[in-house]
Amino acid sequence: MIEFKNVSASYDGELAVLKDVSFTIRDGDFVAFVGTNGAGKSTTMRLANGLLKPTAGEVLVDGVPTSQLKTSQIARKVGFLFQNPDRQICCNSVREELLFGFQVLGEQGPDAEAQVDEIIARFGFDSDAEPYLLNRGTRQLLALASIIALKPPTVILDEPTTGLDFRECQKVMETVAQLNAQGTTVVMVCHDMEVVGDFACRVIAMTDGRVVADGPTFEVLRNQEVLKRASVIPPQATAVAMGLQQQVPDCPVAVADANTVEQLAEALEGVAAEGGR
Amino acid sequence: MIQFQDFSFQYREGVAPVLRDITLAIPDGCFCGITGAAGSGKSTLTYAINGIIPHCYPGDFYGSVTVEGLDTVEASLTDLSALVGSVCQDIDSQMVSAVVEDEILYGLENFGVPKEEIPGRVHEALAAMGIIELLNRPIDSLSGGQKQKVALASIIALRPKALVLDEPTAELDPASSEAVFRLLARYARENGTTVVVVEQKIALLSEYADLLVIVDDGQIRFADAPETVLAHSDELLALGVNCPRSTTLVNRLKGAGLYNGPAVRNVAAATDVCREVLAGAGA
Repeated sequence: MIEFKNVSASYDGELAVLKDVSFTIRDGDFVAFVGTNGAGKSTTMRLANGLLKPTAGEVLVDGVPTSQLKTSQIARKVGFLFQNPDRQICCNSVREELLFGFQVLGEQGPDAEAQVDEIIARFGFDSDAEPYLLNRGTRQLLALASIIALKPPTVILDEPTTGLDFRECQKVMETVAQLNAQGTTVVMVCHDMEVVGDFACRVIAMTDGRVVADGPTFEVLRNQEVLKRASVIPPQATAVAMGLQQQVPDCPVAVADANTVEQLAEALEGVAAEGGR
Repeated sequence: MIQFQDFSFQYREGVAPVLRDITLAIPDGCFCGITGAAGSGKSTLTYAINGIIPHCYPGDFYGSVTVEGLDTVEASLTDLSALVGSVCQDIDSQMVSAVVEDEILYGLENFGVPKEEIPGRVHEALAAMGIIELLNRPIDSLSGGQKQKVALASIIALRPKALVLDEPTAELDPASSEAVFRLLARYARENGTTVVVVEQKIALLSEYADLLVIVDDGQIRFADAPETVLAHSDELLALGVNCPRSTTLVNRLKGAGLYNGPAVRNVAAATDVCREVLAGAGA
């Protein structure tokens, strides 16, 4: 569990980039942080994994303030996937990269080797491949796999799909969803609202260093005031449904409430089949 | 006009051509969006426009590529860079200055823009990107999104005939991404500048591009108006390109016999179609 209690933060000691932020990430959550560039999302992630300490308030990981924990202690509980995998990858082969985390934690040995073997098989990696010669999506998966290998109870993903093509994006996100289904807490910063709508169960919207909304995904993504304040654009199917709700008097509930292409198409086909409401 | 004629290219270290038999004309003032799966050859296509190939990355170059009638193989990189402004995918590799103002000035001074014109050009470019307040900010204090806007401003300030942008909004939030695309579309229209954008954000390309190009395995599979390309959603999906959800929705309604018009390219058009479906059903 990660708790933010009235947290403020600054990089230079003067300009507050996070202002009095409070929320709790519960075990097993799948939370997406949304908002404009500079809203404080990435700063929040850095506070959650201890790379940055609050200037006011406190951040607690499993009840312990991050100010009392070493970064390495937090890293065992909170894995962090950087937006750019090239900032994370540092070894000359896929296998070395996957073993690197174990070595840093002083856990190299047969168990670590076996876990790396399992990860290589699961992701279908070529263990001898040179990471920098892999395409962007595979490098992103490798960076994610090297975090997963250490089995942290929580993973933080900073814009995990940026620059990926559709197939790569699906592969990364399906891996993340599977992790979450197995109990891993997932916290993600994401600008792709289709990905947020498809995968996140909860959305925290931020603007100007403050949380402006925190709730179930589509409750937040349908809140006009929040969309405006945080400059968030809802997923397209939701946007169409919201538009119909506004434009069509007595719009059928199944149409107005739809959030996916499937839901909206089925609702419209149902209305058409009935020949009207 | 950017013209590819029977163009193929194979990097010197490569084992197979990265691009094959490309013939494509991009008219002046056209906003051309290029997309496709990773490794399909999209970026190489842009390198052929700005002369990065064959001038920086040598290889086997077949056919021809011309920009404003200038052959990119025969022209020098200096001549080409006066015609074609480029923004790299990796913004950090493009930044050469410590402060935003210096970053904008760098290109203007190096291209010999008259001194009296420079302040106006700097202001115009920063205003176009909505970042006037960043003028005196150190580059290393900027977010990724802010850096992308600075990189775009530094190129726009040079007023090139063509802009080539490789994922120019990769690190921008949705509202800023849309603002950049809207700006680029207007810029192309008002200045007659040809804008070529490689992008994975298919919804933005569909909404703003005049010409949508789908590259797959080194070849152009589709090059047409977005409505025409997006009508082929199943084929696009097989190529690793997912249509915008609004398009997918309307294509599905069409499949169900509830709509008989062309593919749609944005939320507003999809909403119109759905409203008509409801009206037709008596809603």
